[in-house]
Amino acid sequence: MTVLDIQNLTVQFGGLKAVNGLNLQVQQGELRCLLGPNGAGKSTTLDLICGKTRATSGRILFDGADITNLAEYRRARHGIGRKFQVPSVFKELTVIENIEIARSRRPGLLAALTTFRTPLRGRVKEVLDRVALTDHIDSKAGNLSHGQTQWLEIAMLLAQDSKLILMDEPTAGMTIQETLKTAEIFNSLRGEHTIIVVEHDMQFVRQVAQRVTVMNQGSVLAEGTIAEIEADARVKAVYLGH
Amino acid sequence: MNRTNHYDFLGYVAFAIIILLGVPFLLGFDGFELNTFARYLALAMVAMALALSWGTAGLLNLGQAATFGIGSYVMAMHLKLAASTGNPGGMPDFMGWTNVEALPWFWQPFQSLSVTLLAGLLLPAAVAGLMAIFMFRGRITGVFVAIITLAFMVALQLVFIEEQRFTGGQNGLTGLAPLELPGWTVDTYSLPFYYLVAGCLIVALLVGMLVVRSKVGLVLRAIREDAARLRYLGYDVAAYETFVFCLSAAIAGWAGMLYTLVLEFASPTYMSVSFSLAIVIWCAVGGRESLVWASVGAILVNLAEGRLSDMFVEGWLLILGLLFIFFVIFLPRGLYGLAVAAMDRLRRSPRTEPPVPVKEG
Amino acid sequence: MDAILNQAFAGLSMASILLIVALGLAIIYGSMGVINLAHGEFVMLGAYAAWAMQSFLGFSILVSLPFIFVAIAVVGWVVERGVVHRLYRRPLDTILATWGIGIVLQQLVRMFIGPESLFVATPTILEGNTVIGAVVMSNYRLFVIAFAVAVLAATWGLMTRTEFGTRLRAVIQNREISECYGIRAEKVYATTFAYGAGLAGVAGALLTPLVSTTPSMGTYLVVDAFLVVIIGGVGSLIGTAVAAGAVGEATALFSMLMNDTLGRIAVLLAIILLIRFRPNGLFPQTIRR
Repeated sequence: MTVLDIQNLTVQFGGLKAVNGLNLQVQQGELRCLLGPNGAGKSTTLDLICGKTRATSGRILFDGADITNLAEYRRARHGIGRKFQVPSVFKELTVIENIEIARSRRPGLLAALTTFRTPLRGRVKEVLDRVALTDHIDSKAGNLSHGQTQWLEIAMLLAQDSKLILMDEPTAGMTIQETLKTAEIFNSLRGEHTIIVVEHDMQFVRQVAQRVTVMNQGSVLAEGTIAEIEADARVKAVYLGH
Repeated sequence: MNRTNHYDFLGYVAFAIIILLGVPFLLGFDGFELNTFARYLALAMVAMALALSWGTAGLLNLGQAATFGIGSYVMAMHLKLAASTGNPGGMPDFMGWTNVEALPWFWQPFQSLSVTLLAGLLLPAAVAGLMAIFMFRGRITGVFVAIITLAFMVALQLVFIEEQRFTGGQNGLTGLAPLELPGWTVDTYSLPFYYLVAGCLIVALLVGMLVVRSKVGLVLRAIREDAARLRYLGYDVAAYETFVFCLSAAIAGWAGMLYTLVLEFASPTYMSVSFSLAIVIWCAVGGRESLVWASVGAILVNLAEGRLSDMFVEGWLLILGLLFIFFVIFLPRGLYGLAVAAMDRLRRSPRTEPPVPVKEG
Repeated sequence: MDAILNQAFAGLSMASILLIVALGLAIIYGSMGVINLAHGEFVMLGAYAAWAMQSFLGFSILVSLPFIFVAIAVVGWVVERGVVHRLYRRPLDTILATWGIGIVLQQLVRMFIGPESLFVATPTILEGNTVIGAVVMSNYRLFVIAFAVAVLAATWGLMTRTEFGTRLRAVIQNREISECYGIRAEKVYATTFAYGAGLAGVAGALLTPLVSTTPSMGTYLVVDAFLVVIIGGVGSLIGTAVAAGAVGEATALFSMLMNDTLGRIAVLLAIILLIRFRPNGLFPQTIRR
């Protein structure tokens, strides 16, 4: 089943078409990697899906609903989650408060007015255990190390439990062990969640990706399995060949 | 402000005990002194209202005095009508002087006590709500919120002064009747009146603390840090911001109603720039992050003003200005910040372990 | 028709004063992102300095202008070093701190000089009027207009034709990188703040023959100047000049058509609407960041 259907999407900044007539379909439960040289429009594509940038023309269908012109928070409520390139946790809040914020099944005012504490059990405990932050729940996120901060953000992503997860270079700045652990978490997420990852680390891509889409100059250049992509002459020319 | 921190709650209880028991005793149950202190408590309430939006969400409402002023005029209109029953058409005296034909429609509802009490809360909330929707749907933040609210308040004050026929103009509303509650003609120089004001403050603080300690408070603190990130988590940031603005305005209006009762008049100076600045100063001195401490700040500064302004008539504003600059630069968290720092030191000294174990990796 | 032309001249005269006040405000806001709520008090100090030099030394305004510029610039420098530079990372707090400084300066003047309004004479060589057709133009006002244009030109030259201007623009675009190239951002900021304050002082001195000099004279002026800055757009000198002209003429027009209070309310509403719908001004500079 196609969960995300991008049709002929274009966005223009001044004279530059950062994304130009993009067509992209992603299936339910898939883990899709977006590759491409700098300026190919990968991050912009993620921005368009999550609502950070509005499309000039074209349509984005998610779960059968047209979300092209929805506000960011409405898209999030439809089940689209985003992890940014720069780790963006709430530094002034504690670890568990960050998780509570991320756990936003009921993001409305009334629900929030009647919620008073975050019990350390169920899903909250599960995700914190998974990233080994259970002992630090009352630490301010700003006091965590760089690695812990990245784990906290991944935990927030897990707590948010989005149907579609968008990630921009999730392994940037990670050690090899951390990258491996991240790949493991991603592999366990697929199936239940649909994931789109922009990533430069080919090692990581080989570990997680089923299908790969290569973008160039704002549109799709090639799509296929990692082996097909690595054999593709056009891809070699623009990207891997360098 | 930690949701699991019990010191906030203990501080609240201590504060409530002091103003309910300690203060009347210290003042020797003297009617005049109690009335003065009730005035401080009403001001503490508006300071706490500002802390609610400024301290939690980082939305500095420099026009907080506008909502306070609306509340005070609502109460004053009711009391003015009560004092004017003997006049032709039940019209307030100043309308007669300026040749107003009949009591204007927007004065009529305030003959009813219950409408007045509701309007004193809802009208400021509605005005603030409209402002908030106007600003926050457009994603206005930071200094621009401060400038817009300030400009709005100045415009509102100009309208109140200009429309003398309906508002009493520069003089405001004076010559008010005492408030008639069912079975009680309110004597503002009495212990029961003091308890009325103190009770209102304690209830308002409780409401504010519940909101701050609920997930709404958490979301508001997250807004202060990174509103954009919050949107991608599904939160309608503008709705939360509007809510806290409305709640803060309702409490400020409530405080305004009490203030009119204490002083027995309403004046356009209640919505002046200098009054709004004063509210900000109380908050900054007490600590914007804590509702209770913001109230304490208001009480302390006003106590000091009451004692010191006799000594330095001219210099008081100067002292206040310097104090404000000092707090903004060196103690941005106010007395609350000092208290927290002291508490941390006390708690940490017996056990010498580092506060947060940080692992590099 | 004559009435309109005379009113237009009054508007132009108003605009010239606004321009000098707003230039200082715009430079400080544009370069440091600081909304300086004490700017009106810098204007007021300039006016009092003009009064003091006239009453104690017998200087005419024209003679005292350079001294006043330097004196108020020093005040601005002290304020920047003493207070503002500690708060660059806390923009909301700079509003509060400069507000506090405004109060303190006003109160100091009120205590040591007094709240009553003071008189400063028009310089003798600029007395009298120039009449063209039915339009009567006071020579002093003509001088102020010319002076404002000269200040605009000088500021433009300072920003685009000097080493200092290049440094300032570098710091505005990227403070960290500029510092890597050996530009001392702190010094640039302090100098800029001082220059803006100096301009405000000059504006205050020029105002003295036209309005009454009181401790609170700056407050209303700074609101209009702020409107000019946000209409003009951040960092655009030409925008500021055009906006000063527009606000000056509009104020003159409004005061003809309706009363003062409504005029002030209109200005405030214009500020609110502009911030809401045009936060980058009507003439935004398009810089890719």
